[in-house]
Amino acid sequence: MTQTILAKPEENDTEKEPLLERSNFGGSWQEKDLTYGQPVIVAVRWIMIVSALVLAIWNVTSMHELRLQIVVILLLAVTNFYLQAQLLMKRPVNKQIVYGASAVDILLITILIMFQGGYSSSIYVFYLPAIAAFAVAFPRGLTAIYTAVVLLVYGFICLTNGAGNVDVIVSRLLMITAVAFCGSLYLQLEHKRLAEAKTREEENFLENMPVQAMVE
Amino acid sequence: MKTLQTTEQEAAEDIFFGQLVIIYARWFVVIAMTILVLWSSETLTQMVIGILLVVPLIILNFFVHGRYLMEKPANRLLLIFLAVIDAVVISLIISFWPGEKGLFSQFYVFYYPIILAFTFVFTGRLSTIYTLFVLILYSAVCVIFSAEFLQQPVELERLVIRLITIAAMGMIGVYYYRIQRSRRKKDPGIDPLETFTTADLTTA
Repeated sequence: MTQTILAKPEENDTEKEPLLERSNFGGSWQEKDLTYGQPVIVAVRWIMIVSALVLAIWNVTSMHELRLQIVVILLLAVTNFYLQAQLLMKRPVNKQIVYGASAVDILLITILIMFQGGYSSSIYVFYLPAIAAFAVAFPRGLTAIYTAVVLLVYGFICLTNGAGNVDVIVSRLLMITAVAFCGSLYLQLEHKRLAEAKTREEENFLENMPVQAMVE
Repeated sequence: MKTLQTTEQEAAEDIFFGQLVIIYARWFVVIAMTILVLWSSETLTQMVIGILLVVPLIILNFFVHGRYLMEKPANRLLLIFLAVIDAVVISLIISFWPGEKGLFSQFYVFYYPIILAFTFVFTGRLSTIYTLFVLILYSAVCVIFSAEFLQQPVELERLVIRLITIAAMGMIGVYYYRIQRSRRKKDPGIDPLETFTTADLTTA
């Protein structure tokens, strides 16, 4: 059972069951995953925006810094509002925009970590919900690339000023990997379930089809 | 669309399929804990105590993973019990592992994949209860083992960031679980009369 799940069920099923391809499910697995996963990405970004605003006001050190933070947060909010509006109007959003926006999220978290001292910054925990959200929306390959980039960049930042805490750094990197892996695995399991549900519905339909219709 | 599956069937499938995610999340935590024990133990006693904490988790996860591979997956109650054990073991590490404790311990990060995996598999209500349980457990551990942070706004801010992100993991799981439930109803939604022609049926 596990082997079937891990061996890209989405590909196997389309090969075996061309009938499904002719039915009007519309769009590939990837497009549908993105459609269904995008609300999660948008929701996570709202959480990040609200948290960033609260934290920016919590510890105000200088006027100039606060001004800059508020401008960045508002820009993010406007971008996310655009994506949210597209979702509410049920308009398809360009894949590249979604992928790009997620890359910007990761970049902003990384910049904040660097400004807050690298290893000692506690902002890195924002990587985890961000990665969890795109692991359930993006194809496996892209999730792997994004995660690998985060691991490399964050690992490098931590090692430059926290080399004495290798056990902690390894734990953080492992948990980032775990979140990406679990999200991606869940998505694959859902593909498997959807494929099985389609088969079940088809079988049931064929069993209940009147004989006359079959002859025609 | 007429749904062929009952709600009970769907819930049973959620647990049947989804528990693999919980099992792998636990494997990741076990690996991280083992590295921690082997790397950061300063005395023989520490290493023995650390390993004694990790070994039961390994045995339990072998048991659950083995049953899954034999297509005899664990039931709902056992999975909930194991998830509680996971949260308690992580909290014990945060509380008692040599070095920094409570809020100052860096091993709270183990909670994240465990919560995400749990909320992918269980219903919204159970997931919310589990997330709240972890949030309360972690806050209590921080207050008991590092109460001095309450006087420092910067440290309090750290705790708030962690609680927000832990809650966000729970929220992602619950939200996506709901999305997938509705997707299963809509997506394979074969309305036979609309979807297939008789020509399709004869070729099938």
